[in-house]
Amino acid sequence: MTPQEAQGLVGPLNTVGHNVPRIDAYERVTGKATYTSDVRLPGMLYARVLRSPHPHARIRSIDVSRAEALAGVRAVVTHDTHQTIYSSGSIAGGRQYSDAAKDITQHVRYMFDNPVRYVGQPVAAVAAVDRHVAEEALALIDIDWEELPFVIDVEEALEAGAPKIWPEGNLGLDFRNEPRPMTRSVGDIDAGFRDADRVFEDRYTTAFVQDAQMEPRSALAEWHGDKVTIHTPTQGISNCRHDNARDLGLEDHQVRIICKYMGGGFGDKNGSYYFDLIAAALAKEADAPVLLELTRKDDWLGTHGRWHTVQDFKVGVKQDGTLTAIQQTGYSGMGPYLRRSGGISGIEVYACPNSERVIYPVHTNRMVSGNFRAPSDPQGYFSMQSMMDDIAYELGMDPVDFTKKNMLRPTADVRFTNYTMDECIDRGVELFDWQSRRRTEPGSDAGPIKRGAGFSFMMFRSGVGPSSAIVRVDSEERYTLFVGVTDIGPGAKTTMALIAAEELGVPLSQVEVVWGDTDRCPYSVGESGSRTTTHTGYAVVQAAKDLKAQIAESGMPGRGEVLIASATPTPSTQGARRMCFGAHFVETEVNVRSGHVRITKYVAVHESGRILNPLPARDQIRGAALQGVGQALHEDLLYDPRNGHPLNAGYYGARHLTHLDAPEIEVTFIQTDDGFGPYGAKTVGEAGIILGPAAVANAIYNAIGVRMKDLPITRSRILEALS
Amino acid sequence: MKAFANQNARSVEEAVTLAQQALQAGQSVSFVGGGTDLLQLMKDRVVNRPGSELPDVLVNLKTVDGLDQVTPTGQGGATIGGMITLDALSQHALVRDQFTVLGEAAESVASPQIRKAGTLAGNVCQRPWCWYFRNGFQCYKAGGDVCYSVRGENQLHAIFGGGPSFIVHPSDLAPALVALDASFRVVGPEGERTMSAADFFVLPRQDAEHENVLGDDEVLASVELPAPAAGMRSAFHKAMDREAWTHALASAAVVLDMDGGVVRSARIVLGGVAPIPWRVPEAEALLAGNRVTPELARAVGVAALAGARAMSKNAYKIPLAREVVEQTVLTLATSA
Repeated sequence: MTPQEAQGLVGPLNTVGHNVPRIDAYERVTGKATYTSDVRLPGMLYARVLRSPHPHARIRSIDVSRAEALAGVRAVVTHDTHQTIYSSGSIAGGRQYSDAAKDITQHVRYMFDNPVRYVGQPVAAVAAVDRHVAEEALALIDIDWEELPFVIDVEEALEAGAPKIWPEGNLGLDFRNEPRPMTRSVGDIDAGFRDADRVFEDRYTTAFVQDAQMEPRSALAEWHGDKVTIHTPTQGISNCRHDNARDLGLEDHQVRIICKYMGGGFGDKNGSYYFDLIAAALAKEADAPVLLELTRKDDWLGTHGRWHTVQDFKVGVKQDGTLTAIQQTGYSGMGPYLRRSGGISGIEVYACPNSERVIYPVHTNRMVSGNFRAPSDPQGYFSMQSMMDDIAYELGMDPVDFTKKNMLRPTADVRFTNYTMDECIDRGVELFDWQSRRRTEPGSDAGPIKRGAGFSFMMFRSGVGPSSAIVRVDSEERYTLFVGVTDIGPGAKTTMALIAAEELGVPLSQVEVVWGDTDRCPYSVGESGSRTTTHTGYAVVQAAKDLKAQIAESGMPGRGEVLIASATPTPSTQGARRMCFGAHFVETEVNVRSGHVRITKYVAVHESGRILNPLPARDQIRGAALQGVGQALHEDLLYDPRNGHPLNAGYYGARHLTHLDAPEIEVTFIQTDDGFGPYGAKTVGEAGIILGPAAVANAIYNAIGVRMKDLPITRSRILEALS
Repeated sequence: MKAFANQNARSVEEAVTLAQQALQAGQSVSFVGGGTDLLQLMKDRVVNRPGSELPDVLVNLKTVDGLDQVTPTGQGGATIGGMITLDALSQHALVRDQFTVLGEAAESVASPQIRKAGTLAGNVCQRPWCWYFRNGFQCYKAGGDVCYSVRGENQLHAIFGGGPSFIVHPSDLAPALVALDASFRVVGPEGERTMSAADFFVLPRQDAEHENVLGDDEVLASVELPAPAAGMRSAFHKAMDREAWTHALASAAVVLDMDGGVVRSARIVLGGVAPIPWRVPEAEALLAGNRVTPELARAVGVAALAGARAMSKNAYKIPLAREVVEQTVLTLATSA
């Protein structure tokens, strides 16, 4: 055993662990890859969706006669013609894969709802011979609206007398259909505060952030008898099929989902979307294939993004920096439907003996919130670790020392498959040169341009679980791998091929992957929860092992013959936590006279087990960290409180990073093998987004000596805070 | 998107005639240069001309010969055609050398893609980027009778010259052209008229719907820049909330006429803070006859913002614009 192996540290294998370009890179960059809106079918129609201009309103009547009379219009569908339930759009308790939860959901969401509950909600759709006719037809639909009172602010929404979005009020329903906050309680919070030498209280807020993937969503539906094929940019063809079948009143086998290429996932696409249903309805009405495309604005307002939050903290601490109590009350703005949980994480990574968290998922007449890459995390980590950073400085401690004193560690009760939090922090301290970049006295640089350093740390679940794979070999020794993955960006297709080639002991070029088509691929968990590599990748290992065993037993197949193996493993860590670990270190330069912030160094250290393909893995961390920087410094969605309208939808208005805004992200992986997942691989995709907001905010504090408590930290907010 | 007819004009006069004919036939018409903004307005169904409809006819000015040129005048000035692209303008040697503030302003606009298509006239004549106007609110700028920013989200709105509308003029070129004391040549059905750049723009209290004096059938054909004095130097600086592809939170176009180290006269025009390019004569006066020191530059910044009045959410613009003025003046006056 080498010293490296003794520490659980690992390096490359035969195929796995080397930099491998994506196997479909050339198709993508040469424009040959067929995305959903590139598909053309004979007789295909184009569809557009009419959306609500009101935050809350009832449709008294809707008259589509002028639209139907427009030359070239082939079908118009509305709430009057289609009362189709969109079951994955509103799910009690966030149990998106549970039919039972969908069955009991009281707040049923329809493909077209009446009343409408947010600006941008679909109210009708048109299919026509071309896009322009479809758009013009929308303008000819006459609606008699009854405007209803609305509410935009999460705290106002919970006040008595607030406009009710649902009969029970505006607190989200839990999985028992009861309006109840999410609570987590450890130890005795009152005793914790009694034990404290000092108690700190503060409020933090985070803004709504759109996923903002490059590809505007679209769906192409085509019926053959009682079977519908839907091309749609989904992160999970299996779940998308099941959701759509359920809502269309079909069996799963009557729905075929195809997603060959998509322009970015970023969360909450592991299932159906209402526009799949609308395209299917229009295609049936028109008896022709229908391509429904969302405009950028439709996509921005008519889908989802990270829930905005308000978070109150009360934290007790001993004079030596030992935490005694953490109390957190959060309000998550979910829009009018509880599409996802509204969770706020961050408390779990502290070993504080007494803690209490209460989170209210709140309905408002803003657009719907949903899962965006690490759904509960960046907003929670920003607030929690800003709070802790503040306390560390109040106590005169280095935030790294404060963290090491208080972070969760393995105990007899809390078992981990492995634990590298210390290594991640230590490596970051060294690579970043934390000791010399950090200002012991925040804001102490002379002159208007001040520098400072901040850090944050995280542990993120990297579970194991079921998925499926099929692998086949023919007499020419060509291996075909069937996996139900789509490639949302991390290169899942390439990763699956790498794993198969490694396990089969054959060159990558001998493996062909069949993916993204429910009629050809087995079940996959879908590309959400950072599970593709750990779940489906592990199934590929098992299927390949089976095929190797078959070959060992009966030899390679003869001419005209094939051997096939499949696997649906259900691995378990037997109660041990399987986590990935990370620490980000950021240096910022702030001009206190102009409010301008520049990130001058960004070091990201991650332990995500064995890295199967370092090239895309590094890019995953980079891309995610940049999204974190965008959330920290730029992005939001402003609503006018007087009329309930969103004002800055789109890349221009929400101020996403441009290339000139993007700092260099220096990525380091500590590689380990804990014996789980494919060759010890853990999750990568979501981990990188969690730490940016906290690390950037802490670096700004260290530079200017003023704590910025609201995201995004724009130059206007900095100037106001310093004025 | 609404169907429209495209008409390629071969001369400015023909463009005006085509527009007139369309208007007389009861059609709605827009002139189009690069179309980078007009196309999006049409897609968003935001009417470009208040009181009008989405355009039935686009009169294309890009097909007019010679309207994209920089032509030196005999006296050392230059005439610049309205259809020059922002990219060409920003890279033109004469502009960079003699009228630096204009080249820098052009280079600061939006993104490389937009600069390759967008034009000088289009940039100067673009409609406000107020989020209420752009989202289809029936505000003053859309022919209505309310400015939603007053009681709403006014982070990006005016601290000078507001009322009844509080938009900020979105053009980066406009402050530079006013600072250079440019003349604008406008061609319409009655022939052409020439006016100073400062007289081209109108405050909301003069005309709440429009940002300039152009009629529906008039074209900004070209701008003329007077010859620079021997010691003239100029610069443009723009503060944004990201590094590219957004409008100014505050900008300053500064032209200094220098005699050695002493400022003979100065022109300072602010962008992003008022419904028109906003000249600050009190600040300019402080510079005349003086050497620029850090203290004087600071006083100039303070004087420039002395008359500013913040709305509920844009007070940050005052220190920001002050800093932009101070730094631009100081850097420009003390650079080699």
